[in-house]
Parts: sequence; C-alpha cells; structure tokens
Amino acid sequence: MTQLQGTTTTGPGAERPAPSVRQLTFQWAGGPAIPILSVAIALLLGAVFVLLSGNDPVKGYLALFQGAFGTPYDITETIVAAIPLVLTGLAVAVAFRTGLFNIGAQGQLLVGALAAGWAGSQWATLPGFILMPIVIVFGTAGGALYGGIVGLLKAVRGVNEVITTIMLNYTIVFVMHWLLQAGPMTAQNAFGTPASTPIGAGARLPVIIPNELVLFSRLHAGIVLAALAVIAFWFLLWRTPLGYRLRAVGLGARAAAQAGIDPARHMIMVMAIAGGFAGLGGMIEVSGVFGRVYDGFSSSYGFDAIAVALLGKNSPLGIVVAALLFGAFVHGGAYMQSHAGISSNLVAIIQAFVLFVIAAESLVRSLTRRRGRARKPVEAIA
Amino acid sequence: MTLEMLIGASVAAATLRLAAPIALAALGGVVTERSGVTNIALEASMLVGAFFGIVAADRSHNIWIALGVAILAGALIALLHAYASITLRSDQIVSGMALNILALGLTTYLDYEMYGTTGTPPDLVGLPDVQLGFLSGVPYVGGAIGSQNSMVWVMALLVVGLQIFLFRTVAGLRLRAVGEHPRAAETVGIDVRRIRYAAVLASGALAALGGAYLSLGVAHSFTDGMTGGRGFIGLAAMIFGRWTPVGALAASLIFGYGNALSTSLQGATIGDTKVPVQLLGTLPYLLTILAVAGFVGRSRPPAADGVPYETEGHA
Amino acid sequence: MKRILAFSVLAATIVASCATTGNNTSSASPSGSGTATGQHPKIGLVTDVGGLNDKSFNSLADKGRQQAQAQLDVDTSVTESKQQADYVPNLTKYAQDKYDLVIGVGFLMQNAIWKVATQFPNVKFAIIDGAPNDDAGNVKNLPNVANLFFKEQEAGYVVGVIAATMAKNKVGAATHNTVCSMGGLPIPPVDRYIAGYQDAVKTVSPTTKILNGYSQDFVDQQKGIEVGKSHIAQGCDILFQVAGGSGLGYIQAAKDAKVYAIGVDADQAAVAPGTVITSALKKVDVAVFQTVRSLRLGTFKAGDNSFNATNDGIGFGTLDKIVPDDAKAAATQALADIKSGKITPKDTVQVKP
Repeated sequence: MTQLQGTTTTGPGAERPAPSVRQLTFQWAGGPAIPILSVAIALLLGAVFVLLSGNDPVKGYLALFQGAFGTPYDITETIVAAIPLVLTGLAVAVAFRTGLFNIGAQGQLLVGALAAGWAGSQWATLPGFILMPIVIVFGTAGGALYGGIVGLLKAVRGVNEVITTIMLNYTIVFVMHWLLQAGPMTAQNAFGTPASTPIGAGARLPVIIPNELVLFSRLHAGIVLAALAVIAFWFLLWRTPLGYRLRAVGLGARAAAQAGIDPARHMIMVMAIAGGFAGLGGMIEVSGVFGRVYDGFSSSYGFDAIAVALLGKNSPLGIVVAALLFGAFVHGGAYMQSHAGISSNLVAIIQAFVLFVIAAESLVRSLTRRRGRARKPVEAIA
Repeated sequence: MTLEMLIGASVAAATLRLAAPIALAALGGVVTERSGVTNIALEASMLVGAFFGIVAADRSHNIWIALGVAILAGALIALLHAYASITLRSDQIVSGMALNILALGLTTYLDYEMYGTTGTPPDLVGLPDVQLGFLSGVPYVGGAIGSQNSMVWVMALLVVGLQIFLFRTVAGLRLRAVGEHPRAAETVGIDVRRIRYAAVLASGALAALGGAYLSLGVAHSFTDGMTGGRGFIGLAAMIFGRWTPVGALAASLIFGYGNALSTSLQGATIGDTKVPVQLLGTLPYLLTILAVAGFVGRSRPPAADGVPYETEGHA
Repeated sequence: MKRILAFSVLAATIVASCATTGNNTSSASPSGSGTATGQHPKIGLVTDVGGLNDKSFNSLADKGRQQAQAQLDVDTSVTESKQQADYVPNLTKYAQDKYDLVIGVGFLMQNAIWKVATQFPNVKFAIIDGAPNDDAGNVKNLPNVANLFFKEQEAGYVVGVIAATMAKNKVGAATHNTVCSMGGLPIPPVDRYIAGYQDAVKTVSPTTKILNGYSQDFVDQQKGIEVGKSHIAQGCDILFQVAGGSGLGYIQAAKDAKVYAIGVDADQAAVAPGTVITSALKKVDVAVFQTVRSLRLGTFKAGDNSFNATNDGIGFGTLDKIVPDDAKAAATQALADIKSGKITPKDTVQVKP
C-alpha cells in the first residue's frame, strides 16, 4: 500500500526544490497562508456548483458560517461534532507517523464504544469517581485490543494491515447489529430501537458549560479528555525515546531494527495505541452525547479521520484545526440546508472540493509563488 | 446446515455474481498500483459509473451508449485523481478520499434532482444475461455458470487479458517498471507520466464497469450509494491477490463466497442453535482474514507505489 | 497561468455535469418573508440518517411536508441528519429559530425529541414512529409532543391476505403455494410488517409455506436480489419486501423470475409494473400532513396519535390487474375487521429465517 517514506529529488533542471512526500505528509511548507487560500479556492468552486443548482451561493455560505460559528450555541455544537474526529484523527495520525496506515479507526471506535457502554450499564449504580475511570479504561482498552489484533496478525502471519482493518471495520458493524438487536447487550426499548441499556449517571460526561452562559449547550467534559489525548499524542511522539524511534521508522529509517525496534512489536504497539485513541473517541460519544450505544451511531468518524489526520499533517494542532473544520461542515452544513435550501449533498460536494484543493498543495503554492522571494527553511523533523 | 447450503450450485452462482463487481474494482486497483499510483477513488469511479450508466440508459435506450457513458464517467473521476496525483503531486490518499465524497454527493444530488422520490424508471435497457442452454443438463456447472450476466464473462476475460498484458507483453513490462523503478524507467526512455495517466484512467474505466454491472446488470436501477464500499473491498482483494489480476479474482471469489454464504446459511442450525442472522453478515470479512492469514502471508506492493514522482528536468 | 487555466477547465468539466439537473425539487427554502407565528407558521422537518431519498420514511415524510407547504399555507424547511449526533442540534436550531412545529422522523430520535422538547416547552414537536424517551430509556410523554405511531402489522396483515388468497388459489404465476418476505434487519419496525403478513397467511391459508429472510442492509440492492433468488429457488412466488432500497432488489428478483412482489411504506406499483401486485402502505405523508393541519386548526394533540386502519393511516396500495376480485374483497374485509377490532394482527414474527 502507500509508502510514506519518500525521497526528495532535485534534478538539475528543476525550477525549485520539490516537496518530498515526507514533507507533504508532515509539514505545512509555507505556513498557514496556503491552506487558507486552498479553502478559498475550493469555496469558489463550490459556489459555481451552488449557482448551477439554482441556489444563492452568498446566502448559502453565509448560512454555512452562521450555522457553524454564528452563536455561542453553534460554536459549542461545532466543537461537539469535532471531538470524536480529534480522537480518531489521532488514531490515524499516530499510525501514519510511524509508517503505518490505520484505516481501522472506524471499527476501533465502535469496539471502544461497545466496551464503554457495556461497562457503564453493567455497573450503573457505582458513583462517578469510580465508574468514570472504569468506563474510560474499558473504552480505551476495547479500541486498543481491536487495533492490536491488526498488529498481531501482521506480525504473526504477515497479513497486510490494510486488509485486516477494512475487514474488521465491517465485521464489528454486524457484530454490533447482533449485540444490540438480539444479543447480550440488547436493551428493552420502546418500539424496538436497537440500542444498549443506558449507562449509569456516574458514567455520563457532564456538560461543562452552564446554561446561563450558553443555553442548552451540549459541550461535555469529553473536550477535556480530547485535549489530554492530544497532549498525550504530542508527548509520546516528541518527548519520549520510544516516540523518537517510532517517528524515525515513519520517516524512512532504513530498518526499524536500526531504530532499535523489532518491527513486529512496533506494529502491534502502534496499532494498539492508535486503537486506544479511537476507542476513547467511541467512549466519549457514548458518555458525552448519547448515554447508550445506538446501533449505527458512528456514520463516518473513522473515515473522516483519515482526511482529518492528513489535512492536519499528522500534527497535534493541525488535527485539532482539521477536526474543527469538519465539525463546522457538519453543523454549518445542516444550517445551509435548512435555511438556504441547499441540498446536503451539495454541502458534501463543497467539502470534497475543500479536501481536494488542500490536498493539491503544490498547485496552490505555485499559484502564489513569487520569483526571488526567500522562503522559510523546512525542518525535517519538527 | 446442509452441504447444499455450503457448496451447492446456487451458492457457486451467487459467488460469481457477488464477486464480479469487486473483481472489476480490484483489477482497476492492480493496474494503477502496478504503475505506482495509489487510487483509493475506485469506489468513486464505480459509483459514477453506476449512476451515469443508468442515466444514459434512460435517455438513449441503448446499452452500448450507456456502457460507454459509464466508462467515461469513471475515467473522468480517475482523470481528476491522476491530475492531482501525477501532475500536482498531491497527497494521493486525501485526493482519493475527496473524490469518494464528491462522487457520493454528486450522484445522490443528481439522483434526487432527476428521479426524485419516484426512483429510476423501470424497464431500462440493461446488460443481458448469458444463457448457456447446452449446459442445463450438466450437474453443478450448469447451475453455477449457466445463467450469468454478460459482465461476469467480460470480467473473466479481462482477468485473463490483463494477466497476459501485465506479465507477457512489453507494454505490461513497461508499466510494471514504472511502478517499481520510475527513475530507471525514465532513463531508458519510458514516459513515466503518460503511462501512469493511462493506468489511472484504465482503473477508472474498470471500476466503472463494476458499477455499471451493479446498476445495469443486476439491479436495473440506481439507489444512492449502491456500491456500498465495494471499491474498498476491491482494494483489499488487490492486496490479497498480490497485485496480480488472477490473484485479485481469487480474492474476490473468496469474498463473494462469504457473501453468498451469508444468504444461503440463513436458517441453518449448528446442532440445536440457529446462527443469528446478523452474525452471518460477518462471514465474508472473517473468511477473507482467515484466508489471508492462512494462505497468503506477506505481500509486497510495487516499490514506488504511492510515491509521487518528480521527473528530471520538468517542473 | 497555464495551471490556473487547466484547473478551471477541470472545474468546468465537473460543473458541466450538473447542468443536466431537471426541475429543482430539492428541499424547499422558506418562502416569503418567513416571519413569526400567526400568518405563516413555520414547520421544520428533521430526517433520519437515511437521507431524503431513502425510499422509506424520510421520503414519505418529506412528501407530506411538501403537500403541507402547498396546501396549508405554511413555510416549511427540511434538514437531513448526516449522523445520529446531529438530531439534537438539528431539532434545536428549528426551535431556537421559533419554528411552530418541528417534526422528527424515526425511532432513533426518541431521546433527542425528549431533550429538545423539554428545553423548548413553547414549541410543538412531533415524532414519527416513537415517543419521547428520557435518558434512562423510559417513555415520557410531553404536553408539546405528538407521538405518531403506525401499526405496521395491520398493513402487513392486509397484504398478507392478498398474498395468501392468490397463493391458495394458484393465481397466475403463483403456482407453488409459497410466499416469503425479506426484512432489512430483524428490528421491530421491520418485523411488525412481517409479523402481520405471516399472521394473515397462516389464518387465510394454513397450508401455504412461508419463508423469511434478511438482507442485513437497507441500501444494497444486490444483497436483496440474492435473498430473493434464494427464496424463489425454494418455490416462493410472492415476495414481500421490507428493506428500503435493498428491498428494491428483492422486487427485482421477483421481476427477473416473472413472479410477484409486494412493496412497502409507499405505493411501489410503479417500481415494477406487472410484478408488484400491491404495497403495504404506511401513510407517513398523511400523518405529517394531518399533524401540520391540526396545528393550523388548533387541534394539535400531544401524546399518542395512532395511525392505523381506523383512520386510514395504513392500507394496501394499488392492485395490479392480476390480483383477482376475491383477493381484493378479502383484503378489504380484513381491513374492515381490523378497524372494528374483530382481527388483531400479531406483531411478533412466527416464521424466522
């Protein structure tokens, strides 16, 4: 599959040093001006689409921004939508940083959610200071296990991780159907909604913004967990010797062994860590938003995470910003539909353009290139 | 659980029907990754192929035009990906994902605009089935292949054809060289860019055939998102099949078999307990993992797969 | 410069593909001035995650909304939920914008409706296929929420009567005295249809063989076709689909084999004329329309609002010409019997896969 170790090539006739894959994956060469310009170009393209469909693009974009950031309530909703994407984004990024492609965040999140949901309802009567840590551990461990299997299969039988993760993503969906419809986690529901027994009050992440500040806000303590996860991600990769070695592998060290890591252990460890992040994300959704596990509650957190991680250049701050961008599209996009009459599918198309143009960084860079202008040197390892 | 449920002729027939679209996508994946470009937008090509094939069938009442339009649509999506990956040297994963989102949004939008809540019209011209009457007496084989869609046969021919092309022709060798050692290939005068463009376009066309099979050959209609991830399963099949056409077919057949079982085993019992219907859905996926873990082991992609190539002397 | 040109050409190519759009029948934006309550009440519809074109509840609910907009002098707006976490904010935004009635589609929204309706006691809400559920999972009716229920088993029953009558008398291509059904997943909203269907068949024609299966999907047509082919191979002649988009594949399998099918939710006679002999109707559009109308007339009723045989909330759809008169008469009688309470269709599935 994709090899992230790239080499910089500067042939004699090249007009400028081309960015290596490594740089494209991990660096914003040129600072934040490029992504902002990229988004602007994409929005322009989207406006053409909106016009052709017979709608008003100005009204549409106003609704998009208004919906995402217009009122304090909207801002908190955008954040709520972004939180799971931060966690799954970390799950994908930690793998990318070490040279692996984790498409399995989708499944790892679900396993974490199921584990957390089960624990939260099983011991529902326990008080919060005991139950909450239990639920957090269960969620993280569930995801870590599901990720670790991928590493194990590769280490022991050489199964390509792309295959395993795709297959396991689908597998858990069906297992979840069974668990919540006819299996041990099925709750007695009015009208048969497939869902698990509600978790105990002690396992629910409380809303942290008082009603006096923002009416009816749903912004829950998961934001704290997400922030801690981002810090943990940064700390692990940039402040521990293990993290240094993992990143060296990701940047193309000739052999993982050279970096002092057994490749098999490396894979299991990384996939387990990645799965842990995603599982925590699942737990946060169950604890902070839903209060129980609903069948099919995660539509695409795991897949959007891939774009979030890559847009954020697999860096802590970048992932947060990218997740917020996606959250803005989710929440603002709904408003675009309800108040400017723009089909939600057009919103998806606009979102695709944004991704597409941001991915085409070099196009934007060449459009803004000015001759003879010195540029900031690019560091190989931040 | 009876033997009939497990390996009966109808199960074999179902396996072929279910494997075909995945195999076509996987073939597309093989071609593009052998040339060194990762194309995860096969799902997008499949979906637009499925949709625009139906639209063309509706408007032109001609299956050849419909197929042509489907292939064109798939190739166009692939062209965008090729442009982004080869010329712009974008991140191939993100541009692929962007195209997947674009295709889903676009086809869903147009489907609603054009066919609203009534759905696509019935009795559209479609891909015909191939009835092999002379096989009707033959046990098992007659049931398995006696009545398959023409596209299934096309798929089989493509597998053979691409296998020969990639591994027995000079052109195929060039393509593989581009995927393994692009710099060396360029040194001997091979136009890396052109070959990669061609490969990506071909992958879009192949995936679109898979989509057209679903809409024009199987369902005779279009519903939003009807490809349902088959493009991604195709990628897995490609890896499973070690980036060869025949391997991709084998992998697709295994997956298709698992899918067929999830239908045929409904109601089956192991001893006294009935297998829960929902868990049957996991069969194709677990079967694939087992097969790869048990038989295939490590697989190595083309050396320059997924790495944007900067040519000497060009901007 | 060349690159900008090239990119614009590409963009134009994408854009040109949109030029083939027909009439814009997408979500209507609030017409007119969209002022406060009184003159033009504002009605908001929040769909489930299946999308507006799900060939099931969402599209029917939207149809009802469009009818209300056209006939009841209201401003309407629709929001498609892309994921379950969106239910609460989608409902909330309408309430915050002082909409008069906010309708949620689907049983997955029960907790969301409870949350938002509690926060906005002056806004009226309605939920299709559910009732407000509090955080502990208990039903908690609210004075500003109308619970719109359907008795799917009644709809399943009447089409089951038709199927059983035709199978019993070996009408047309129905020669094997076997009927079958396919659900998307074995969840109660699906199974209630199948339960009624099976109950009718067992009552009207006990000798008829009954098959049942699930496609495990509400979108994938190929899966529906495979289950259909499997059932037809076992002799089934009348296939009842309860699987949304996937069920269209079930109907297609019937069409390929030149046997019969029965549609669900909406009237699906146009899907495959000559194959679809009738449909089990769940008049979600009527429910939405009636609820908006009740708002206009001031007769909005909170709590349980049942849509069933007695108020024409369920029924059987257009009958194909192959359906004999005695089947039609039997179904009409069954509908009357259900209305009068003489027949109470079962709501649990008896014949599992």
